[in-house]
Amino acid sequence: MALPTSFDMCFAPTTRIVSVVRRFVLSLYERILEDSEVSSQLALVTHELLENAVKYNIDDETMLRISVSPQSESLSDMTVTIKTRNRATPENIRSAQRIITRVKEAEDPFLFYQELMMSSVMMPDGSGLGLARIRAETEMTIDFNLDGDWIEIVAQTQVRYGGEP
Amino acid sequence: MIEVHVGELHAVARAGDGNMTLSMVGTADTFAESALNELLGRLHGELQKLGLRDVIVDLHELEFMNSSCFKSFITWIVAVRRLPEDQHYKIRFRPNAAMHWQKRSLHAICYFGGDLVSIEG
Repeated sequence: MALPTSFDMCFAPTTRIVSVVRRFVLSLYERILEDSEVSSQLALVTHELLENAVKYNIDDETMLRISVSPQSESLSDMTVTIKTRNRATPENIRSAQRIITRVKEAEDPFLFYQELMMSSVMMPDGSGLGLARIRAETEMTIDFNLDGDWIEIVAQTQVRYGGEP
Repeated sequence: MIEVHVGELHAVARAGDGNMTLSMVGTADTFAESALNELLGRLHGELQKLGLRDVIVDLHELEFMNSSCFKSFITWIVAVRRLPEDQHYKIRFRPNAAMHWQKRSLHAICYFGGDLVSIEG
């Protein structure tokens, strides 16, 4: 049985600590969910989202929120939500909107990921490969919310405690 | 020998007994992206120069790879595909089953690479 848990982190953006955070959240997920495979996927998602948030942030505050909450009465079925929040330039916000919309609307996330792999070769930056990777490799949904020049990226999935069927 | 040590990544490519092995240790993240690109470019040239037909990429001690470094491998595969067919070489990934993220990431890169890419084990 997993207990509801949430975790917030707010820090001045530096890519130096993204891997440190990934290791920390991997331990957190493993402790909460008792499923090393799912925990590894969630840590990958956290890393990709946080790296983007830090990379495109335009001030000194990046936020990460992780929550694990039970679905209805069940304490075995959990909803895991990973959110990052940061300020970004209008251009980068438009770019994030565009790629997230394409990721969300892709009928086959794996094939979309494959197409993006091919097109990313010609793009020096901002291909959106990390977001497509999240959707295709972990099956988490991806969405975004805007508030002025703040952008919040939300990844969500349902998991079962201990990897139970 | 081609070697890079940047951020948390240590990568070494060594030739021996008619094959080449690239061993990656640590974490391939933003800090490693540019060095990894350069290393794979040099490795591509070296494999052609030596006329080798396959290369092993040992990921046994690779804790994590982000999408930017993943893209370096995609670029490498595309470079091999663009060679004349008689100069193609195979890229064989040697995974670590305990690093769970590798399973799906390698499946994706293997699908992308087609005949040029395989996963050991």
